[in-house]
Amino acid sequence: MLRKTVAVIRREFVERVRTKAFIIGTVLGPIFFGAMAIVPGLLLSRGSAGQRVVIVDGTAEAFGGRIETVLAAARTGDGPNGKPVYASVRVAAVGRVQDVVDSLVLKTGLSKKNAGNLDGLLIVDEGSVTTGKLRYYGKNVGSMEDMRQLRSSLTPLMISERLRSVGVDPAVAMRAAAPIDLDTRKVAEGKLTAESGASTFLLAYAMGIILYMALVLYGTQVMTSVIEEKSNRIVEVLVSSLTPFQMMLGKVVGVGMVSLLQLGIWAGAFLLLQQNQAKILGIFGVASAGSGIASILPTMDPWLVVVFLGFFVLGFLFYSSVYAAIGSMCNTVQEAQQLQTPVMVMTIAGWFSAFALLRDPTSSFAKAASLIPPLAPFVVPVRYSIARIPLPELLLYVATMIVGLLMIVWVTARVYRVGILMYGKRASFKDIFRWVRAT
Amino acid sequence: MGEAVIAVEGVTKRFAGHTAVRDLTLSVPKGGIFGLLGPNGAGKSTTIRMIMNIIMPDEGRVSLFGTTAGGRALSERIGFLPEERGLYKKMKVLDQLIFFAETKGLRRGEGRAKALHWLSRLDLGDWTNHKVEDLSKGMQQKVQFIGTLLHDPELVILDEPFSGLDPVNSQVMRDVVVEVARGGRTVLFSTHIMEHAEQMCDRIAIIAHGAKVVDGALADIKREFGGRHVAITFSRNSDAARPVFEDASLVKGVNDRGATAEVELTAGASPEALLRALVGCDVGLSRFEVAEASLQSIFIAKVGVDGARPAAITDGN
Repeated sequence: MLRKTVAVIRREFVERVRTKAFIIGTVLGPIFFGAMAIVPGLLLSRGSAGQRVVIVDGTAEAFGGRIETVLAAARTGDGPNGKPVYASVRVAAVGRVQDVVDSLVLKTGLSKKNAGNLDGLLIVDEGSVTTGKLRYYGKNVGSMEDMRQLRSSLTPLMISERLRSVGVDPAVAMRAAAPIDLDTRKVAEGKLTAESGASTFLLAYAMGIILYMALVLYGTQVMTSVIEEKSNRIVEVLVSSLTPFQMMLGKVVGVGMVSLLQLGIWAGAFLLLQQNQAKILGIFGVASAGSGIASILPTMDPWLVVVFLGFFVLGFLFYSSVYAAIGSMCNTVQEAQQLQTPVMVMTIAGWFSAFALLRDPTSSFAKAASLIPPLAPFVVPVRYSIARIPLPELLLYVATMIVGLLMIVWVTARVYRVGILMYGKRASFKDIFRWVRAT
Repeated sequence: MGEAVIAVEGVTKRFAGHTAVRDLTLSVPKGGIFGLLGPNGAGKSTTIRMIMNIIMPDEGRVSLFGTTAGGRALSERIGFLPEERGLYKKMKVLDQLIFFAETKGLRRGEGRAKALHWLSRLDLGDWTNHKVEDLSKGMQQKVQFIGTLLHDPELVILDEPFSGLDPVNSQVMRDVVVEVARGGRTVLFSTHIMEHAEQMCDRIAIIAHGAKVVDGALADIKREFGGRHVAITFSRNSDAARPVFEDASLVKGVNDRGATAEVELTAGASPEALLRALVGCDVGLSRFEVAEASLQSIFIAKVGVDGARPAAITDGN
């Protein structure tokens, strides 16, 4: 009997792993993770370098000159090998600001080929120091990063300029105003971990996304494959030698193994990326040290991996048996869309409760949600990633999850048994109730 | 007659609105070919599904090989070809057959060897690594047929096995079925094509509207049906024979199919008299054969024109 189930599992697994969709998905996953690691780094460090900016200086004082100095000192990134952000030139234009601006605007934002092409004009007026008003006319005003860079280059200068004007030594004031550097490190079970607060949140968030996507995607695969077998009329052949339960179990476990394989490959790629992060970032010209990028790929402790995988498997079995039952009730994928809604609601509820408890993972809400089988696969791993759950409590959650799983399998197997051989009209909820009660 | 391989006892199956099978009793002895005949909608497939334990009878019981354990428990000994053919379209032919073999309890290696043997035997040797969806319909049906026979079952149940096949493939399949039965195995197949049943079956059962009309050995049924019959094939001018057929002193009944006709003689009339009358009408004859009633005539006589209509929803309780 077991051998037949193994045959179904093998078929399901082999046929699925051979598909293009699987191969593409498996390859795209790590690329996506890689992009998640690298793109923010690139965004953080890379304003465009060598911007050609003309400072139109309408002041009689030395302010314009100091702006020129500050801009010339600005470097991309934090590392020592950053490139100058600006290639700036100052034009003294006291009393004729508007004329100079008008003539220079003509040269701004042209294509790179034009000699003397400018990226922008920074206009300093007589009252700029007191009003804090500067004008920037440029082609890159839509770039948040460029504008942030410009603003952060100029702000300290403006502050020190104002302090100077009231007779305070800017150096003293700047030292006094230095921001505090709050280094957050998570403590778990009396041990200091290497995780920062931000990365804990990120990890919980990423786990939530992966759980949700995997449960829904692979669950839907179970459903469509049941519908396919039904519309191919292959069920009649199968049902003459396999019990419906063997068919359902084989399908769910087969697809589940595919999902674990894919997640495993992704996890492996993730670990590789994590270990070689500095190198990879280096290839893209991003210096990772001290830039805060290191925390984007957080470390995972082995127990968390166990809890995550354990609840993923339980949740997968739970949801995919529901999906299998839904598939068995329908003749087409379109029909299944409607019946899927209650399951979608459950998964979305699980996803939201996981995030609702991020703020307080030990609240009574979090504890209650961990006891509800449809929610637990989302809630427990996310909770565990934020604050370790004591073992007895964790075992309780596992136990309720397993009880819930057995109940849902009992119900869905009964629906499946009748459903796979029903053709024609879609089953109503009344029918389903009758199928479940039938012995 | 021997021990009954399939025993259907007083089985009734109702679906919403109509009775598909009504108090049906059948007994299929070991060995030989048993034909389950009936017009479309007579309940043949429903009966076969109940025999296979795919659906449960509302009343009565079905036993296979003397037990009521059900077709699934005995699936190693049974080969089943459902009316609705089903294959995994994306799977390769050989993989598919190995999977079917596994579901019947064979080991993979054994399944592979048998599948390859059958594939080459049915001229599909070049297609083993093609996907099922690349095959023609006839070829797919052969693959399905192989899946049914792969594990060398003692009992083969085929629901409309020859429908939708071209004459050549149909003949190939019929030869295989006959050969399977010759090896001491039992074959039950359903059909509404009387010629197939007539050529192949040792025993038949005719059902209409879900109820059994007649069953038994084909020879016995023919003998019991009795009468003297003449099978005629016209070579030309068949219309001229019509007045002769209407002569009640010669002809009791006729099954006129245009180019051929089957005539039941009136008691006391001689075949020679009929032949004389036909020759007198200037009818071209290519065959004039005194024979037993054909299954077709028996079927029409037993089931009637009415019975050939599919059972309507209003039928039954």
